[in-house]
Amino acid sequence: MSGGTVVTARVARGLKSPLAGRLTFPLVCLAVWLLTIEVVTAIWPFAVDVLPQPTEVAGFMWDEVTGNTLAPRNMYATFWISLQRLGIGMVIAMLLGTVIGLGMGLSRAVNAFFNDWVVAILAMPNLAWALFCSLAFGFGITGPIVTVVLTGIPYVIINIREGVRNAPSDLYDMARAFGVTRGHTIRHVLIPSLMPFMFAAGRYAFALGWKGLVVAEVFGGQDGAGWTIKFWYDAHRAHGVIGYALLFVIFALVFEKFMFDRLSRYFFKWRPASDVELVEERFDPAGAGAQKVTAGPPPRRDVTTETRRPDDG
Amino acid sequence: MAEITVQNLHKEFGVGADKVVALENVNLEIGGHVFVSIVGASGCGKSTLLNILSGIETPTNGRVSITHDGRPARAGYVFQAARLLPWRTVMDNLLFVQKDRSEATRARCQHYLDMVQLGDKGKKFPGELSGGMQQRVGIARAFSTEPDVLFMDEPFSHLDAITARSLRAELQTMWQETKKTVVFVTHDVGEAVELSERILVFAKGGRLADDLTMSLPFPRDVSDPKVAVAKANVFKTFEQIGALAVT
Ligand SMILES: Nc1ncnc2c1ncn2[C@@H]1O[C@H](COP(=O)(O)OP(=O)(O)O)[C@@H](O)[C@H]1O
Ligand SMILES: [Mg+2]
Repeated sequence: MSGGTVVTARVARGLKSPLAGRLTFPLVCLAVWLLTIEVVTAIWPFAVDVLPQPTEVAGFMWDEVTGNTLAPRNMYATFWISLQRLGIGMVIAMLLGTVIGLGMGLSRAVNAFFNDWVVAILAMPNLAWALFCSLAFGFGITGPIVTVVLTGIPYVIINIREGVRNAPSDLYDMARAFGVTRGHTIRHVLIPSLMPFMFAAGRYAFALGWKGLVVAEVFGGQDGAGWTIKFWYDAHRAHGVIGYALLFVIFALVFEKFMFDRLSRYFFKWRPASDVELVEERFDPAGAGAQKVTAGPPPRRDVTTETRRPDDG
Repeated sequence: MAEITVQNLHKEFGVGADKVVALENVNLEIGGHVFVSIVGASGCGKSTLLNILSGIETPTNGRVSITHDGRPARAGYVFQAARLLPWRTVMDNLLFVQKDRSEATRARCQHYLDMVQLGDKGKKFPGELSGGMQQRVGIARAFSTEPDVLFMDEPFSHLDAITARSLRAELQTMWQETKKTVVFVTHDVGEAVELSERILVFAKGGRLADDLTMSLPFPRDVSDPKVAVAKANVFKTFEQIGALAVT
């Protein structure tokens, strides 16, 4: 095979790899974006003002990142405000959801009491919560926080209930056989066994809570990421709306990955990683396993006639 | 001295058409530093008996009492699967079943880990150990509470024959050093003959069918003709009670 074909083969393989697929996506998006602008402006020339050029959006984003903004607060202060609201809402959702989920997992009556409501809350679009909360609580921080709680809590409840139903009964029996106290069992068996479910709940609540929060801030906030997107909308800056939303998505994704990966590494360090080699070893009282390494295969022996036991030798 | 008394013990699971009689009118007494095996085919109530003795299950009828010098006895349990907390280290698994976490307690746990050749694995998580090592952690855990009575439910049946054999030797040594009362459930007649001084034979339907004494000295060698004869006799007992399937 000549050098040329090797290179071609490698390039062909590279193009088929998942990484190449991933990198192609933004390029395709960009192409579609530019093409759309071309087509639309060809049909309706005045659209130039409404359709933002990629360069405009990029320039806007750069200004925001460097703190050079026309909005009342820079991006970092704004995201910090939203993050705090999300944090408060998530803590409330996790606490309340854990209590309700535990109750639902442990008692049929409690489950019957809450079940329909959990399904209803789950089915409600978070736009409805945002609108309702801004009407009910007016402008301020209560509306956005309540929206986060309502968006996240059904996921927490459902996950915790599932965790309780998957309780490791063999470990509870073990604890009982050894006479371990109830408090000790809760701390060392129940809570750790719920951790993976809590974690999944937290991840869902976080991902969906962000969306609920932004919508709530659009309607009922006086600051925060959602409010700022609305600010650019009111200022008729299409590139601002798109750029700010993009920045926010990037921030949320990076934050999520960073935080949950950290937490996951901390809480699940007991899970054997696939690359951890299993330590295989046998009890060997006499050290008989430490056989001398001899060259070649061992001689064949007939064990049905042999009287000497191997241990004797 | 530990005393186990079981009187008119009866255990049923389920109701109506689903009713299963797991134990039927079992009476027995076990006393002193003995190694007792409970042998029988699967489903004849061996685990149920052990679970009732250790308080995991409650009897439908009858009474069990386990005392040591007149007070309630402390029990340890080795299960068929190791049943370790996967999220706690080996050492923390042993500490989990202790009354306190004092220095003396830690030292005792370390001592029993050393005894099962896992002295240097205290900081490992169970998932990092092989099946045989996990089972040894389970054995160390049971011994580490210094129980008066040790219950073992087919502790070696999940392991390969070679690992199981070395663990049996290890258990034998530990039993002779600590002289506890051991109640050992197995479906393996050879294992029962190798380890025990007394064999309780259970029949289908949870009946105690026979009570055999094994007076051969330890350690018992499978190639010893006396051991082979004893094993054949236990199998004969199963034939007599009709527990051996004829197909
Ligand atoms: N928790 C349970 N619920 C219903 N049936 C059970 C339960 N535990 C055991 N059994 C039944 O009781 C009988 C005895 O079971 P078990 O004590 O586990 O037998 P062994 O340990 O001798 O194999 C079996 O028929 C089994 O199906
Ligand atoms: Mg069993």
